[in-house]
Amino acid sequence: MSELLDRRAVRLGEKTDGRDGAIRRCGEVLVEIGAAEPGYIDAMLAREQSISTYVGEGVAIPHGTLAGKDLVKRDALAVLRFPETVDWDGEPVTVCVAIAAKGDGHVELLAALAEVLLDENQARELREATDPDTVIRLLGSIQEEVEQ
Amino acid sequence: MPTRTATVGSASGLHARPAKIFVEAAAKAPVKVTIRVGDRKPVPAKSMLSVLALGAKQGTEVVLEAEGDGADEALDSLAELLATDLDAGHV
Repeated sequence: MSELLDRRAVRLGEKTDGRDGAIRRCGEVLVEIGAAEPGYIDAMLAREQSISTYVGEGVAIPHGTLAGKDLVKRDALAVLRFPETVDWDGEPVTVCVAIAAKGDGHVELLAALAEVLLDENQARELREATDPDTVIRLLGSIQEEVEQ
Repeated sequence: MPTRTATVGSASGLHARPAKIFVEAAAKAPVKVTIRVGDRKPVPAKSMLSVLALGAKQGTEVVLEAEGDGADEALDSLAELLATDLDAGHV
């Protein structure tokens, strides 16, 4: 069984020119690891335009529209860190947790991620992570909760 | 304290977009509103992370509470919003 968060999908030294550039990079990584078709990137941009995916603590969760679900090949996350921060409609974003999800089951996934971010120390660790192991340790619990 | 119970109407639960719509409406309310599921701790309804952490699915019953001037009106409109399928009409 493939992992929800693949080590190859953890990119901690990303650079971009803005919100849309960051979303494109997130989509490219999901495509690269075989989780989504290239068209999913446009679905992610469309989703962001309808309402921001900023959730707080310097974290955004770019993902596709409902119509974009057909372009998802398998459920997966990608974590991209932008050390220089991205202006996300006025909010500074350091970490994007990009989501590719086939079904409707990502309420549990978001709840588990929110639990991590509600813990100030864990949220800071995620924003400051320079080692993929740190990210996998912090977000590994998401995997377990979703599989239950 | 004024209280309302609402059943989450959005087809895929209080995930990212429905949660954001609800949180933004709660932030505009003239009173501080809390939301909870069952006997769990009430959390601020205007906190996106707290609302996401509820993990509320379609059909989950949530309790809204607020106190002060305008509490009843605020709770009525927020409860109605929660009961609406905020995924409907979106592709």
